[in-house]
Amino acid sequence: MEKRNNWKAWLYLAPVLILMAVFTFYPLINTFVVSFIKDYNSSYGFNAQIGTSNRYVNTGFTFNNYGVVLGITPRNPSTGILDKTFLSFTGPSALGNTFLITFVTVPISVIIALVISIAINSIKVLKKFFQTVFFMPYVTNVIAVGMVFSIIFSRTGVFNTLFKLDVNWVNEGATYWRSMLILFVYIIWNALPYKILIFLSGLQNIDKQYYDAAKIDSASPVKVATKITIPLLSPQILYITITSFISAFKEYNSIIGLFNRNYTHDGNLPDLYTVVYYIYDKLNASSQTEYASAAAVVLFVIILFMTLIQMKISKKRVHY
Amino acid sequence: MKQATIQTTHLNLVIPGRQKDVLTTQKRDKILKAIALILIYVFIIACAVLVIFPFFYMIIGSFMLEEDVIAGKLWPTAGSFFENIHYNYTQTLQRFDYFKYVGNTLIVGFSTTAGCLLITILSAFAFSRLHFKGREVLFTIFLATMMIPGEMMVITNYTTMNNLGLIPTQGQTRIQAYLCMILPFISSVFYIYLLRQNFLQIPNELYFSSKVDGKSDWQYLWKVMVPLASPTLITITILSLIGSWNAYVWPNLVTKNNDYWLISVAMRGSALQLPDPLAPDVYKTQSSWTMVASTLTVLPLLILFIIFRKYIMKGTGRAGIKG
Amino acid sequence: MKIKIVGLTKKFPGDPKKGIKDTVAVDSLNLDINDGELVGLLGPSGCGKSTTLYMVSGLKDPTDGQIYFDDEDVTFLAPEKRGIGLVFQNYALYPHMTVYKNISFPLTSLKLKENKKSFKAERARRLIEILSNPEEIADVITAVEKDNKIKKNDAVFALCSHYHISKLLAEQIYSYKLHISSDPKKDATKYVSAALIDVEEEKRELVQQHLILADNNDILKEDGTPIEVTRKLTKDEIDALVRDAARLVQIEQYLDRKPAELSGGQQQRVAIARALVKKPRVLLLDEPLSNLDARLRIQTREEIRKIQQKTNITTIFVTHDQEEAMSICDKILVMKDGKAMQEGNPQEVYRNPSNLFVAKFLGTPPINVFNGYIKDGGLYIGNERISDVNSSLDDKNVYVAIRPEGFIIDNKNGVFSLDCKEIVTMGRDLSLICSSPFLVSGKIKIIIDSDLKPEIGKIKFSIRPTKLYVFDGETEERITI
Repeated sequence: MEKRNNWKAWLYLAPVLILMAVFTFYPLINTFVVSFIKDYNSSYGFNAQIGTSNRYVNTGFTFNNYGVVLGITPRNPSTGILDKTFLSFTGPSALGNTFLITFVTVPISVIIALVISIAINSIKVLKKFFQTVFFMPYVTNVIAVGMVFSIIFSRTGVFNTLFKLDVNWVNEGATYWRSMLILFVYIIWNALPYKILIFLSGLQNIDKQYYDAAKIDSASPVKVATKITIPLLSPQILYITITSFISAFKEYNSIIGLFNRNYTHDGNLPDLYTVVYYIYDKLNASSQTEYASAAAVVLFVIILFMTLIQMKISKKRVHY
Repeated sequence: MKQATIQTTHLNLVIPGRQKDVLTTQKRDKILKAIALILIYVFIIACAVLVIFPFFYMIIGSFMLEEDVIAGKLWPTAGSFFENIHYNYTQTLQRFDYFKYVGNTLIVGFSTTAGCLLITILSAFAFSRLHFKGREVLFTIFLATMMIPGEMMVITNYTTMNNLGLIPTQGQTRIQAYLCMILPFISSVFYIYLLRQNFLQIPNELYFSSKVDGKSDWQYLWKVMVPLASPTLITITILSLIGSWNAYVWPNLVTKNNDYWLISVAMRGSALQLPDPLAPDVYKTQSSWTMVASTLTVLPLLILFIIFRKYIMKGTGRAGIKG
Repeated sequence: MKIKIVGLTKKFPGDPKKGIKDTVAVDSLNLDINDGELVGLLGPSGCGKSTTLYMVSGLKDPTDGQIYFDDEDVTFLAPEKRGIGLVFQNYALYPHMTVYKNISFPLTSLKLKENKKSFKAERARRLIEILSNPEEIADVITAVEKDNKIKKNDAVFALCSHYHISKLLAEQIYSYKLHISSDPKKDATKYVSAALIDVEEEKRELVQQHLILADNNDILKEDGTPIEVTRKLTKDEIDALVRDAARLVQIEQYLDRKPAELSGGQQQRVAIARALVKKPRVLLLDEPLSNLDARLRIQTREEIRKIQQKTNITTIFVTHDQEEAMSICDKILVMKDGKAMQEGNPQEVYRNPSNLFVAKFLGTPPINVFNGYIKDGGLYIGNERISDVNSSLDDKNVYVAIRPEGFIIDNKNGVFSLDCKEIVTMGRDLSLICSSPFLVSGKIKIIIDSDLKPEIGKIKFSIRPTKLYVFDGETEERITI
């Protein structure tokens, strides 16, 4: 009955294909290529001028961009100074911070979201209301609320006043770990709504009969949660873990919103850099596209690797 | 039969918490249940307060004089309530040209959304209704791109825009800035996925009967499928508008003139400062005005959320169900 | 366990705003169930039978009435405290757990009340007992030999079921390798003496704590009185219980599978094993056969009956299939619109339906119902006088119901004539499809012996009086004639 109408389909797809080719597929390949180009010039593409003309050619490929980003080879061989902002084993670095943020905020937010979702799912009165309340922060502006957080946690702000503390959390002069702590809190606060929404819709899909059966079997509430609810929710938990790993690796906006410190990568070491922060800084502030590209490829590889590992683990643990 | 190590017939199994007499058990269960319920509600309400508090304080803070915000007051104490509001909002609006940025955001947002809807409808139709070689492969490739960090694209897209002459070092025009902010966001794999799932649910019979009525694919798409999928299209519209409203990184990269800023960029970039009374040379950011700017940025979102929460929650929630 | 249900009522509140009235799912139901009885709740869908079952289980709270288990009023007791087993219509097996985990799940929540005993001594003494016959062990193990190879799992499994011991102990016995030993007797003696040392050691340790090890492995106080303890079940005990339950429903070989890997019938057995493993006082079955195909249904219902008789657990069985209920139940309760229609022994109910609904509901093919009337001490359908009735009965319109097997071809003296349209041979019997202007609905089906050779057309029948029922035209209640 349905014949294959090839050309017609491609006509429908033409707009999206053109846009995706220009803004998704080409950039993907190009970023990868640029990360290997020697002496890249963002305005002209390549750096060796031919004669006096405006034509530039590629002078060759190199792994050096990765070396510079990872702080193995110096950017300027004559000075021999290594750039340790991206990767450092002795102090805060973009990659170190990113890993720290990811491995702290993802597990904590998943657990908190799970507990809240199970609690909301267990009540009847005001269930819908709370579902809405907890989802509300999802639609808000990360930058704007980040600025509000920074005022709440300022030295004489409402948090310190309420708890009678005198701690500098986020302003200039705050220690690394205090700033990090507030950043964790903000990222978790931001991450909860989506997780709660997904978990709640997953919980509502679990057949009520399993709970009736567990009740007949005299299972305690804790046992029901750990032995029945969580295993049956494992597909959602896997999905949430993977997506939140990815978004935690790309953390950027919350730092911009929360901190008002002037981060420059020249001179003093920016202690709250993240991978994406590094990429944008290289791109925007200093037009070092090749380093931004190399860092982006590193980010991509890490995310790919993490996702594959989680899929592998989940094959054993996740019940579909 | 041989004697078993464990003679199961003789095991005396008891239910924990079951007292000899039913009434005591019942009473105990009732009390435990009530306590559990109270604890659950207390927990949920406490969490809800924590979640809501930043919004509450943002709005309350915008009603306070600077000294109260700085002193960490929970409620305005200085000044008179309505005068504070008037003062804060007029002062902020003088420095943070809210309506101009909202205008920019709406123009960019609606253009992006309109283009996005058109393209999403066309491609979702092709992916759900039309049969062509390589359909599944192409769709899988599309889905795979969702896993790739956007930063991979941003870098080259910036260069592309530059090469297209849309980001001149000097004298970027309004149209150039808008185009920069609109073009890369018209195509969205997530929305295509969302709409395709919806289209797939529309029964084949409708398609066949419209074919029998002599309607073309094109007519069927616009007369039957689009109206049937309107809830999903509303979801896409809202999510896309919210996306533009909250966009920060890209607009910040490509706009070279403050006049073209979108709201989030402007919110971060506007200097809401007053000279420090003690040292007139030093300008200090006014926290109360930041609260005003935040409120003005967040409140439209909250209102949009309250009106359209069903669409937003459905659209966002659907992503997780199939993993 | 006796169950007594008194005036049980369940109302679901309506929504006056939307004009939905309250619905009464169960209406003042009374039922007495004796210890060890298998009772069927029978009725069309929506008659309240499942709701009744859920109220007995405690998963639903009644609006009114009481439920007694023996003499205890359990009406509002939480389901987990009632000590019941429930088999759900869709089984509700936990999909992420293996069959073993599914069956053992209820046990992990329960506790055991018993005299304190020494596990070490018990285990050692059982081991000694088994080792007393090493040839038997070797026989059991070599029995599973396949292609000159003995798989460890098979051997352990065989030991488990032969000696009724836990897997752990079976593994230990297997590790002694008595089946390949050149002198099993000597080896066995060696292990026995090791086990004896264990027992002695345990005795000594207990004496130090001023306790005595009894011969039945109980730990006694110095004055010889046992110590009562309530404790969690050990892995061994859970294992033994799970295997016992699995053996009862014959699913031992599937213990390591997930429910999705089993057929419907096997899943059903797992569900029954899960309900039985905790030795419930009452077993409740909610349409347990409705998801099985016809052949399996008959087979499984027989098995349910067998298991029920073996365990002697008071059982309530909900079904809409009258044949199912009739074939296995000690007692049935026919329900309609939340009300009890009739209660009793299945054959009794079939033979003596107290109203038209019960008469129509029981029996395949269904009973034939005609519009008739009583006049001057006679029962009439149309102009034909079918039977005499008690002359004290008033003249009135009635329903006349005749079972398919209640017709006898009698062209000479027949009292009831029907137009025979079709004759179908069904094995031993013949089925006549007839029509009559007085039939209430459907077709008339008559079953007669196949030796008779009826012909299509007008046939006269006489009616067996025991297969003829008369019901009031208005109340539909039975009228004794």
